[in-house]
Amino acid sequence: MTDRPVRRKGGRFRRSSGLVVVGVALGLISVGYALASPGRGGTSAVAAPDDAAQGQRLYNQSCISCHGRNLQGVPSRGPSLVGVGAAAVDFQVSTGRMPAPYQAAQIPRKPPVFDEAQARQLAAYVQSIGGGPEIPTGSLSDGDLARGGRLFRLNCASCHNFVGEGGALSSGKYAPPLRKATRTQVYEAMLTGPQSMPVFGDNQLTPQEKQDIIAYVESLKHERDPGGLAIGRIGPVPEGLVVWLLGIGLVLIATLWIGVKA
Amino acid sequence: MTNRPPSGGLPGDTPEQDLLELVREGAARDGVEFVHYRPRFVVPGTKLERRAERRVAFWLMVAALGGIGYLLVSIFWPWRYVSDHGPNFLFTPLLGICMALGLGGLGIAVIGFGKWLMPEEEVIQHRHDGRSDEFDRVTTVATVREAGASAGLRRRGLILGALGMSVLGLTGMAIAPLIGLFKRPGRQLFTTPWRNGVRLVRDDGTPIKPADMKPGSIQTVFPDVPGGSTAADAATMLIRLRPGAHVAIRKGREDYNVDDYFAYSKICTHAGCPVSLFEQQSNRLLCPCHQSQFDVLDSCRPIFGPASRSLPQLPIRVDEQGYFVAKSDYTEAVGPAFWERP
Repeated sequence: MTDRPVRRKGGRFRRSSGLVVVGVALGLISVGYALASPGRGGTSAVAAPDDAAQGQRLYNQSCISCHGRNLQGVPSRGPSLVGVGAAAVDFQVSTGRMPAPYQAAQIPRKPPVFDEAQARQLAAYVQSIGGGPEIPTGSLSDGDLARGGRLFRLNCASCHNFVGEGGALSSGKYAPPLRKATRTQVYEAMLTGPQSMPVFGDNQLTPQEKQDIIAYVESLKHERDPGGLAIGRIGPVPEGLVVWLLGIGLVLIATLWIGVKA
Repeated sequence: MTNRPPSGGLPGDTPEQDLLELVREGAARDGVEFVHYRPRFVVPGTKLERRAERRVAFWLMVAALGGIGYLLVSIFWPWRYVSDHGPNFLFTPLLGICMALGLGGLGIAVIGFGKWLMPEEEVIQHRHDGRSDEFDRVTTVATVREAGASAGLRRRGLILGALGMSVLGLTGMAIAPLIGLFKRPGRQLFTTPWRNGVRLVRDDGTPIKPADMKPGSIQTVFPDVPGGSTAADAATMLIRLRPGAHVAIRKGREDYNVDDYFAYSKICTHAGCPVSLFEQQSNRLLCPCHQSQFDVLDSCRPIFGPASRSLPQLPIRVDEQGYFVAKSDYTEAVGPAFWERP
C-alpha cells in the first residue's frame, strides 16, 4: 500500500519473527473475514462507498502499524499514503509487495496476501482519503508492438534490460523482472513509480504509449528461445560463458580421451 | 639404412615393400628414423579389416547425409520468423544439426581412417645442434650475392630510382590514416549544440512544459537543432524531483534549475556511458556500465564507483511559450576526462 520503500535506519525494525507471526495471523484473519463476508461486486474498478469502508477495515488490520492511523506514515517504518492513489495501492497489494514481511532495501514481489477484490477495497479506501492516480480500466491490449518496443528501449530498458529481465541498482535495490507483471500492474507501475522507479505521468507517456509498452512487455513473455535454453536471456555474456565452459571443456575432454586411447 | 622393420621381408619381395624401402631411405637421409612400423592388418582382407573399413565408410556417409541435409533444409525448410509456433523455429537448429553431422562425420572418418586402417608407425627426427656447418654458410651467402649481381641493380639506375620512389609513395599510403591523429581537435570537446534559447525536446522533437512531468520522473532530452538528437555530446536528463527533496545547490548555479526541475548531462564522466538509471526514492543516478552513482541532490556529485567528476549541469529556463529552453551551453566539458581539460 505504498509506493515507497522504507529505508533501513538503525536496524531497529529488522526482521522480527514476532511481527511476522502477527502479520501472517492478521493476514489470515482478514482473508477468512473476506471469505466469510457476503459477496460484493467483485472486480469493478469503480469504487463504491462500501468498498472504502471495507478497505478501511483491512487497512486497520494489516497496514496501520507502518502507515499510520490517517495514512500519514510512521517515521522509519512506512511512508505517507496521502495522494498515492488507488493505482499505487492496487499495484503494491496485487503484486504481494504489501503488506511487507520485513524492512529491506527493496520489498520483493511475492504471492499476494489479499485477493483482487480486497486489493480494490484497500485502493478505494486510500483513494477516498487523498486522491491520486486511479486504477486503469479496460483490457489495455490495444498497443502498437513496434512503437512499444521503441519506447521500452528508450524509457525502460536502462533498468529493466531490453528483454525485461531487470537488473541491479544501488545498495541492494534492483529493477525487478517483468515476467510476472500483468498488463494492469505494468500500467500502474508507470503511473505511480513504485519504490525506486521513476514516475511516467500521462503527459510524459500518454495512455496510448503506455499500452504500446505493455504490448511489448507481453510479447516478451511469449518470446521463444531458439537455442532451447534461455540462460537468463541477458545476452551474450552468459551465452559466451556457457560456450566457453561447456564447449571448451568438452573439447578438452575429447582431446584427453584421444590422447589416452593413443 | 639401418633398423629393418621386424615384420618386413627382404627388399624386393613385393612392389609395396620396394616403396617402403625407398621411403625409409629418403627419410634416413633427412635424419628421420623409423623405430616402429607395423601394418594393422598383416593379412589383407580379413573380417576385422572389412569391419574397420565399414566403420570409416559409415562416418563418411553420415558426413554426406549431413551435407545434403544442410542443402535441402536451406532450400526447402520454411525459414521466415513467425511469432506463432510452427515448423519455422526449427530452421536454425536443423541447419546446425546437419552441419554438426556433416563436419563431425568427416572428422570422425578421417581420425578413424588413421587409427583403424593406417599402419602403426613411430619415427624420430634427429635435429642438429648449433649453427650450420661452414659449407652451408658459405654457399648460402654466395647464393644471395649471386642473385643480387645477376639482377644488376647497380647498373640499372633508372629502375633503382623508380623503386625508391615507389617505396616512398607506398609508405605515404600506409601513414595517411594516422594523419587524423595529429589534427588538433580545437574546441569541439568543450562545446555541445546547446545554446541560449534552444528548446529541450524529446527524441521525437516535441517540446516539454513544466506541467508535463510528474514529481519523481526523468526524461531524456535533446537540443532542438538539426541533428540534435544524434549529437553524441548533447543528450541530457531532465529530472523533476519529488516535493520535499532537499537540494544543495552549488555556488554559482543558483539559477540553473527551474523550481524542482534540474537538467544534467547524460554522459558519464568516467567512460561516457549513458547514465540513466534514476532511483526516484534515493535521488541517485546509476551508470549501468561501471556502477558509478551520482547524487542528484548534490549537483550530481559522484558518491560511488569509478567516476570522479560531477555530471555537468545544464542551465535551463522557461521561454515565452512556456517550454523549457537552455540558458547557455554546458559551462564545462561533458563526458570523460581528456588531456586538455582544465
